[in-house]
Amino acid sequence: MLTKRQNMLEVIKGGNPDRFVKQYEALAFVMNTPYALQYPLMPEGPGAPAVKCAWGYTNAWPEGMPGAFPMHDPEHLVCPDITEWRKYVKAPDINYTAEDWKPCQEAVAAVDRNEYLVAAFVAPGVFEMCHYLCEIQTTMMNFYEEPEAMHELIDYITDWELKWAEQICTYMKPDVIFHHDDWGTQKSTFISVDMFREFYLESYKKIYGYYHDHGVQLVVHHNDSFSATLVPSMIEMGIDVWQGCMSVNDLPKLVKEYGKDITFMGGIDNGKVDRADWTQEMIAEATDQLCRDCGKLYFIPCETQGLNYTSFPEVYGAIDEEIEKMTKEMF
Amino acid sequence: MAGIQEVYDLVVKGKSKLIGAAVQEALDAGCDAAEILNKGMIGAMDEVGEKFKNGEIFVPEMLIAAKAMKKGVEVLKPHLASGDQGALGKVIIGTVAGDLHDIGKNLVAMMMESTGFEVIDLGVDVPKEKFVETYQANPDTKIICCSALLTTTMPSLKDTVALLNSSDFRSNIKVMVGGAPITQAFADEIGADAYTEDAASAAQKAKELAS
Repeated sequence: MLTKRQNMLEVIKGGNPDRFVKQYEALAFVMNTPYALQYPLMPEGPGAPAVKCAWGYTNAWPEGMPGAFPMHDPEHLVCPDITEWRKYVKAPDINYTAEDWKPCQEAVAAVDRNEYLVAAFVAPGVFEMCHYLCEIQTTMMNFYEEPEAMHELIDYITDWELKWAEQICTYMKPDVIFHHDDWGTQKSTFISVDMFREFYLESYKKIYGYYHDHGVQLVVHHNDSFSATLVPSMIEMGIDVWQGCMSVNDLPKLVKEYGKDITFMGGIDNGKVDRADWTQEMIAEATDQLCRDCGKLYFIPCETQGLNYTSFPEVYGAIDEEIEKMTKEMF
Repeated sequence: MAGIQEVYDLVVKGKSKLIGAAVQEALDAGCDAAEILNKGMIGAMDEVGEKFKNGEIFVPEMLIAAKAMKKGVEVLKPHLASGDQGALGKVIIGTVAGDLHDIGKNLVAMMMESTGFEVIDLGVDVPKEKFVETYQANPDTKIICCSALLTTTMPSLKDTVALLNSSDFRSNIKVMVGGAPITQAFADEIGADAYTEDAASAAQKAKELAS
């Protein structure tokens, strides 16, 4: 029997996996980077007080929400005018030393690398950072109204991501980068393919290119939305696994068309199964046929949430159970 | 009516810096203000909504079109009769308690406004009682729209609609619901009058309900 790590890598390279990968089972997330220890990413949990994050935006996580949200009222908005972004946006200092990285290195060393892939977590992504700083609707209009300033801001964020990538690759040496950036809703991408490529393709080519060139085996990108039209761009920017791909993307078709270049990890929509009235039948409905249609290679059945948890905690294990059932049927 | 066509084109293209002058030119050329609003602007936003619904344009294009319309209306306003704007009546809209999502709700509000409604936007995380209070302060409201984007806030949507359904003014209003996890079946189950899948359809449905 293959280890979890070996099995996931077999799926991705189109080899001989001996079972379905159960969601995030092969990824060992190591979260205690010096950056995470210095700055909060989000409140500790739903209902906890809002926190100011490294880039100056404030994240709130109200009770009952699956994740945190940046606050954009006049008191909390970081950049009210994109043309003056330099005045408002200050990238956090990340010149950490080897000593600062010690707790993280110890956590990495404790992971059984034969069984697991060590994963570093990076969020928010470049697109998300733009709208966390400037508010989403304004950001959307800025693409048309102030494109030069948007390019400058994106370059600034990209440079910071590259510095952070250097730190991660120098001190942490993970196998996987698990990088968030949501690019759409359940029906559509937020922006057109052309606009996406104009503003974000080069940025991500640099960032993901750096990780690949410095020892990272897999770039797993979380984006829980409809983004089928962006798949060629995802491949071009160096994404190995698209996590969070919702069922609206017609995953069987994508696996067939692009599987050799990118693996699809998702298909089990949170909206359908992660709910108060969930049942095993509901999960079976979202999982079983999906596994049959997508097949054994280039596909990892997974909830679309961007980490290994569900809002209703028992749902996560119930999805695992369903995937095990499909392994028995198909392997 | 070249002037009105120019206004129409500038709204569709979202040219908010050029629209003011075009509206003024149309007025100077003798175009009727209500016609500029209805044919030039509301007509243009109908096209924008349709294109968005069909996936031909995206959120930025829709937002800049709505912004252009707003800029145009600023120039038009002194020339409009009091009943021309918001002629279809009042709509109260908000995302339900516990839910902070606002893009979809904002797009619906924009399309409703562009269609000819006067929109009272309560924002996000709106307690159910606030919808009732707002109606009581605006008893000429025709439609109340409630949005939920999360499976975890669907119960909050249900509670909000239940409170509206038990209110003594229920027969005077229509209740519309929407949001990613919401379906027609759920809307029926909780006793809403209408559900639509996207912002353009919501504005069209509201028009039908208000007429």
